[in-house]
Amino acid sequence: MKKDLISMEDLSVQEIKNYLTAAAKVEAMPLRERVQFLPGRIMATLFFEPSTRTRLSFESAMHQLGGSVIGFAEQSATSVSKGESFTDTIHTVENYSDILVIRHPGEGTARLAAQESHLPILNAGDGSNQLRLQKYFMSTDEPGKYQFKQTDDIEEAIKNCDVLYMTRIQRERFPDLVEYEKVKDSYVLTASMLKDAKEHARVLHPLPRVNEIAYDVDKTKHAGYFPQMKNGVIIRQAILLKHLGVQL
Amino acid sequence: MNNNNEVLLIPKIELGIVIDHIPAGQGPKILDIIYQYEEMKDVAITLGLNYISKKLGKKDLIKLQMEYLAPEIIQHISIVVPGVTVKAIKNYNVHSKVVVHPPKEIKNLLECKNPNCITNSEGHVGTLFTAADDEIRRVKCYYCERIFDLDELDVVIP
Repeated sequence: MKKDLISMEDLSVQEIKNYLTAAAKVEAMPLRERVQFLPGRIMATLFFEPSTRTRLSFESAMHQLGGSVIGFAEQSATSVSKGESFTDTIHTVENYSDILVIRHPGEGTARLAAQESHLPILNAGDGSNQLRLQKYFMSTDEPGKYQFKQTDDIEEAIKNCDVLYMTRIQRERFPDLVEYEKVKDSYVLTASMLKDAKEHARVLHPLPRVNEIAYDVDKTKHAGYFPQMKNGVIIRQAILLKHLGVQL
Repeated sequence: MNNNNEVLLIPKIELGIVIDHIPAGQGPKILDIIYQYEEMKDVAITLGLNYISKKLGKKDLIKLQMEYLAPEIIQHISIVVPGVTVKAIKNYNVHSKVVVHPPKEIKNLLECKNPNCITNSEGHVGTLFTAADDEIRRVKCYYCERIFDLDELDVVIP
C-alpha cells in the first residue's frame, strides 16, 4: 500500500523517530552509495506557489539518491492557469512520475491529492496548514521530551536554552500591511545577545530570514540555521526512500 | 393542572415517527430542517411545544405521519439538535427508538468555513468532518484540519 506524508497529526512519536534514525543512516553514507538507491525513479514537484528552499531541497535530495526530477515552480506555468482543476492536474502528472511533492496555497490540497492519486504524496506545504511540517523535521530530536515556556524576556531565555528557534514574521500572511509594519522589527537577535548563551546552544530558523537575525550572528558558533538547511536535504532523502519503498 | 395537560396531549398515531425529548424551544428548529427536504413537503406534521417532561422539565415534540424518516434527515437533526429521541410507531406502540447524536464522521453535509480550504475551490470534492471531542461539539475538517464548533458550521443539503 502506498504511504503518504500529509500531516504531523498523522505521525506518532515513534514514526518521527524512525525518520530521524533513517536520516542518520543516510547521512553516514558516502554520496557514491546514495546515488544507487533510486536510479530510474522520477519525483514530480508540483509547486503551485513559489518556494526556494523547499523545492530545491527536495530536488537536491532526489538527485543525490540517483533519481530524476520533473515539475513546475509556479501555477502560471501550468494548465491550472487555463482553468484545469487541481484534481485533474494530479491525475495527469501521476502518469509521469513515481512520487509527487506538492506545495499549494489551498489548505487540504495534499490530503485531497493523497485521496485521488495512486502515487505516494508528500506535503510540502498546503497554505498555512502544514508549512510547519518541514520545521519539525529539521530540528525536532525527541518530541515530547522537552518543556516549553512562554516568555517575553529573550535575554534571560537565551542564558537557559539549548535551542533558540527563531522565525520570521510572515508578511504574506498579514491581510493588512499596516499591521505588519507595526510588528516587523519587534525582535532582532544580535551576536552580542548570545554572549551568555550555553556553549552548545544553537540558533535555528526555518529561513528565509528578514531582519530578525542580524548578520553578525552568522559568524558565531551558535548559528545553526545553515547546517539546518543541509539537514533538510538529508531528512528529505530519508523520507523519499521510505515512501518509495526502499529499506535502509 | 395535570388534567389540562392531558387535554392538550397530541393524539396517538397508528403509524408514524415521533421526535421526542427535544429541549423546549428547539422544536421549531427541527421543523425548519424537515421543511428543507422536498420529500417532507406533503407529510402531515404535529408540533407540540413546552410539554412537561420528567427528563427535561419541559420539552418539544414532533409527530410525523410517515413510515420512514431518511437517515440523512435524522443525521441533519442530530447535528443541529443533538440528543433527541426518534421513535418509530406501529399499531399505536413504540416499535423502535433511538437517541440520535452527531456521527463521528460527517460526510458531505457541512460546509468548511475556511475560505482557503480546498473543499471550497474544488467543487466536486465533498466535505468530511471528524469528531474533535468526545461530545462531538467540535469537529475537524479532514482536508484543511481546522477545528470548528459544530454549531458554527452551515449544513448544506446535497
